[in-house]
This record gives sequence, C-alpha cells and structure tokens, in this order.
Amino acid sequence: MKVSGGIPNGRIAEVYNPVLFQEHEEVIVFAREEFNRTYSSIREQIDYINKVDMHLDRVEEWKLLDYWTKILERINILDINMNLMFKEEPVQCYLDAYLYDTIRSSEKKVALSGNSVSVQLKHSI
Amino acid sequence: MRYSYGIMDERKILLYKPHLFLNSNDLLVFPSKDFHKWHGDIKEYIDGLYQINSINLENGKSININELNLASGLLTNITDELEHLFNTKRISDFSYHYVSTLDEKYTKRRGNWYTSDMMKCDMRIPIKPSINPGIQHQNMMEIIDHAAREFIMARRKKSKKLTDPSN
Repeated sequence: MKVSGGIPNGRIAEVYNPVLFQEHEEVIVFAREEFNRTYSSIREQIDYINKVDMHLDRVEEWKLLDYWTKILERINILDINMNLMFKEEPVQCYLDAYLYDTIRSSEKKVALSGNSVSVQLKHSI
Repeated sequence: MRYSYGIMDERKILLYKPHLFLNSNDLLVFPSKDFHKWHGDIKEYIDGLYQINSINLENGKSININELNLASGLLTNITDELEHLFNTKRISDFSYHYVSTLDEKYTKRRGNWYTSDMMKCDMRIPIKPSINPGIQHQNMMEIIDHAAREFIMARRKKSKKLTDPSN
C-alpha cells in the first residue's frame, strides 16, 4: 500500500513523498505515534498466537482446550485494536492493550475530590 | 484513535479535521480506499476465527486439530496483511469489500473458566480480617493458653531439678 510520512501545517499537511499519491486522491491521516502503538499491539498478539501455535504438539488434542482459550483472548485484543482504528474517541493504547477490562470509577470518589478542590480554592482566595 | 480524511491538492493534503493534530505530531498518510480495504480484509479473517470458535460455542466443547490448523492458516493471512501495509509495491484488490456483519454475541470475550473460579476462591480468603470482639477474645485465649503451657513446662523443670539425685 502507498504510505508516506508527513507533518501538519495548519489546515494543510505536508507529505514527505507526494509523488506516491495522485492529484485529488482521498487520503486518511493518522498520528504516527498512536498508529504505531496500535499496530505494534496487533503485532504482539499475532506473535504470541504464532508462538503458541508453533510449540503445540498436534498429537495431544486434549491440550487444545486450554490453549484455545488463550488464543481466543489474544484474538479478542486483536479485534479491539482493529476496531480502535476507526473510533473517534481518544485512546490510551498502552492501557487498552494490557488492561482491556476497564474498571469503573465510582461516582462517590469523583464527587469527593471535586469538593476538596473547591475547598482548596476557597482557602487560596 | 485520532484520524482525519484529507484530499491531495497540489502535492499537499487538505485535512478535513486539522484540529485533531498538533504541529509537533508526526503523521502517517494512507490512501483511504486502500486502507479501508486492508482493514476490511483483516476484519474478515478475524471474523473467520470467531466463526471457527462459534461451531463449538454452544456445545461447550473445544476445537479439534483440523479447526486449529484452519485458524492458524487465517492467522498467517493476518500476518501477511500486516506486512503488506507498509509494502509500497503491493496493489490492493478492489474486486470486493468486506463489511463485518457478525453478531456481537460471537465476539464477546469469554473468560477462562479455570481462572474465574480461582478468582472466586481467592476472594473468599480474608486477606486482612477486621478485628472484632470475637477475634480479640480468641487472641487473648491463645495468649493465655501459651502462657499456661510455658508455666507448666517451667514447673515440670523445677520439679525435675528437685527430684534429680545429682543435686
């Protein structure tokens, strides 16, 4: 696939390799760092599954029960990562790759910290 | 993930959503048609993997060797696709475009039953028991027991010393 690096410059972005693209071709632009994190997370999952697959003795079918659940978990992370590419919300890729079970923050704590901030402000005034 | 479409105009890109990127950001630019095709292809393979799993999902069985071989074939395809992303010489095949319509119930993450059971077992163990009167009493009785045992030992030693003929 044609790919090029670039830098944003206000409303326009300058491309390092403009020759690759045709005039009036529609392009999709990602932030390099974010894309890198998602991509390497996908690679990591694939490598893990391939390693498990390689070391698996095909004769011992009973072992599959355990290995398949492990492989499925990785496939799930892979799927999440693929879906992330077209999600608008900001992503903390590092966290999503390793802690995909998000813990809900309790509303109480948020309210408490909000109160403490307002108290501090009053003191400073 | 932040992404924006754009259009090539005089060797520069007009971004549709320029506010998403800071001036210090490095950008990666793909042709949108090719990228969507690539994304769809990988989604197709992943859906294939879920389909292999779904055959045995309702019976609660695991897969067999043949199905594993099939899955590893799909994984090889995904690996290939990932490498093709940065291969500028490769031309995508636009004869079809895959849109995932897989039901969500097949893509849900299922925990490993063994670990979830183990977690329940772990939760039962009180790591830091709260100190209540019962435990306080128990603790006191343990100290008294210990003291009583020591006391008896000391007494025995004393009586032994008294009865010892060597003294």
